[in-house]
Amino acid sequence: MQPSLHIENLNLFRQNELLLKLNEHINGGEILTIMGPSGCGKSTLLNWITGLLTTNFTATGNIILNNQNLTDVPAHMRKIGVLYQDALLFSHLSVAGNIAFAMPKGNKKQRLEKIETALENLGLKGLADRHPDSLSGGQQSRVALLRLLLNEPKAILLDEPFSKLDSALRETTRHLVFEKIRDYKLPAILVTHDHNDAIAAGGKIINLS
Amino acid sequence: MSINKYTNTQITHLNDNFTRIIKFSPYFLLFILIIPVLGGLVAVLLPALGWIPALNQYNLGLQGVTALWQTLGLGNMVLLSIVSGLLSTLLAFILCLMILAAFFNSYWLMRIQQILSPILVIPHAATAIAVGFLIAPSGMFARLISPDLTGWEIAPQGVLPHDPYGMSIILGLTLKELPFLLLMALGALAQPELGSKLRQQHKVALNFGYCAFTAFFKVILPSLYPLLRLPLLAVLAYGSSSVEIPLILGPNSPPTLAVAILHWFNDVDLTLRVKASAGALLQLTLILGLILFWWVGEKIVKFLCTDLLTNGRREYGGVYWQKLTYILTAMVVFFIVTALTGLVLWSVAGYWRFPATLPNSLTLLHWQSALSQIDEAVFNSLIIGVISTFFAITLTLLCLESEQLSGKALSNFSQFIIYLPLVVPSIAFLFGLVWLQQLLTTKVSYINVISTHFLFVLPYVFLSLATSYRRLDGRFAIVAASLGCKPSTVFFMVKLPQLFAPILIAIALGLAISFGQYLPTLLAGGGRINTITTEAITLANGASRRTSAVYALMQMVLPLVGFLLAWLLPKYIYKNASR
Repeated sequence: MQPSLHIENLNLFRQNELLLKLNEHINGGEILTIMGPSGCGKSTLLNWITGLLTTNFTATGNIILNNQNLTDVPAHMRKIGVLYQDALLFSHLSVAGNIAFAMPKGNKKQRLEKIETALENLGLKGLADRHPDSLSGGQQSRVALLRLLLNEPKAILLDEPFSKLDSALRETTRHLVFEKIRDYKLPAILVTHDHNDAIAAGGKIINLS
Repeated sequence: MSINKYTNTQITHLNDNFTRIIKFSPYFLLFILIIPVLGGLVAVLLPALGWIPALNQYNLGLQGVTALWQTLGLGNMVLLSIVSGLLSTLLAFILCLMILAAFFNSYWLMRIQQILSPILVIPHAATAIAVGFLIAPSGMFARLISPDLTGWEIAPQGVLPHDPYGMSIILGLTLKELPFLLLMALGALAQPELGSKLRQQHKVALNFGYCAFTAFFKVILPSLYPLLRLPLLAVLAYGSSSVEIPLILGPNSPPTLAVAILHWFNDVDLTLRVKASAGALLQLTLILGLILFWWVGEKIVKFLCTDLLTNGRREYGGVYWQKLTYILTAMVVFFIVTALTGLVLWSVAGYWRFPATLPNSLTLLHWQSALSQIDEAVFNSLIIGVISTFFAITLTLLCLESEQLSGKALSNFSQFIIYLPLVVPSIAFLFGLVWLQQLLTTKVSYINVISTHFLFVLPYVFLSLATSYRRLDGRFAIVAASLGCKPSTVFFMVKLPQLFAPILIAIALGLAISFGQYLPTLLAGGGRINTITTEAITLANGASRRTSAVYALMQMVLPLVGFLLAWLLPKYIYKNASR
């Protein structure tokens, strides 16, 4: 079965005013890009998909992931991973601790080995025991990506994940993230201000206004 | 501590008297706080070692310690103080964490905060009286379930509220400390940078499949705890050394150590004061021991839990914990509401047979008779509160203005000293301070009481005013100065009107703190100056429940009126300036 994320007849309201309408189907490995000025409801859309809609907002419609309707499933059981513009690494845990936090539970030794290999693959060898705040911005965003992937999500949301990186780093990180999304065949939604991001994503682009 | 960036561009000032006073004020502040607290501590130490000029004893020795050691039941007193302080802190802390975890990111957290924050202003004595009414054998709880569930037709015999195990003390302290800890935690989470980062991290954990409860404990708590440590230690120190709540809810033989010290100190036999001083030292040691114990416990918990943080387990029965928390929160709210209702009912109750939930008849008699005798206590409360708050506000404003004139914040040392009277347990330094005051003069007890109240009012007033004062846009002062205003004119005509609302809040807070002081009033006043609070505590152990209820309610009404005025006045005066 092809993995897919389906946003079915979504109507999103702020108080009682219609904020946006959306009906989209995203196949595994595809990236849907959503652009628009701030305040148009981009982050509210992501909040709805993750199940964390704030009190001022209401929504009708369904979110269907791999044929399972998630609309009424609580946030922590949806298996949808989010990459934010800040790496949001936990400063009370080491790099390895951050990744272990996201992994499914299991044999301690096996988990540690998996973390080591994963870090090595992304050029982060030897950083496992470092404190996340001591890493460079690029390293932090790679750890955040790794943390997300080892969580084994079924879909990925990207909330302007590259906007705080400088342009050289931005391109390599973007390439890495998109490559992983295609490798893992995950449906993904990218929210961005940046046209280059949108073009690099290579999928459908929706402009909200 | 950063202050407004515009203040660094202040123009140079005249060297007039106003500026000189302003620049001198921080030094005056240090002087006026360090002398009484440290002097008090020294003056407690010396008598404990046998150096007592008042009794013509100058031989250094360990008489005080020996006398204390031979006191019957000393071990029980110490144990009671330790257990009630430690358990109430632990209970309040656990409840606080459960409430935060269950309602994190939910609008209910705001609601709970709104319900609990008025409790902060209610004096300890009034809380204790209300709790006593609730749990007494013929109290509200027994009435609510009798005779249907219990079959009690007459009030049963019971140990509550003066049970020998200190359970009533623990209950009273927990109810009073929970709102404080919760508001401290919410205050930390309201810091813009930290708060939004933690909320985002909580979201990340939810995305990774952690249930909300686990996410709080694994992600938020490790970052939040360092900010809660000081409030927790303050609660621990307070809980094990306070006298108001154990006096009203605690056992009498033996009482807690702090209460025993108070009795010895107030005894007509002056030699007992030596024992009291030794007791105060023991109390101080006990608090330091408890703090050390907490610190070690913290390390052990941290060591044991480090692996749990990253073991990947998402659920620890979060649903059940969530439900348990709802029940406990509802119980706390129910406790508070029933206690307050009970207090109001008792104050207007006519004949009230035991199992009846409501009084048979209502009467205003207790209010009338209490109000006819209460005027002296109210007058004393007001005069002491107003004068000590006036001085505290003035000194705070001068010091904050000196920050802006010099363009740099008060040193960390000064900031620490401001909180000294809150950090050092009052039972330890107050006795010494009173001895010092009596050395200077024995006649003017009003001045002694007011100056002692000032020590406790100042930290709260400073805490409450500092943020708004530092946030004031420095450009107003520059504009005014460029229009030809002297520094004093800028201060009085520009800054103070703009700060009208926060100053009123600080005044109301200062008054509330002063109204609630028991130990400073009792000791510095030599027992001759009665306020609402000292009267309420005296009446709580003896006189009728109805009179006691009236006094406890008066204790709540006075500060409430203050806050009501502080909230209303800015709507009518300077209403364009206050934000």
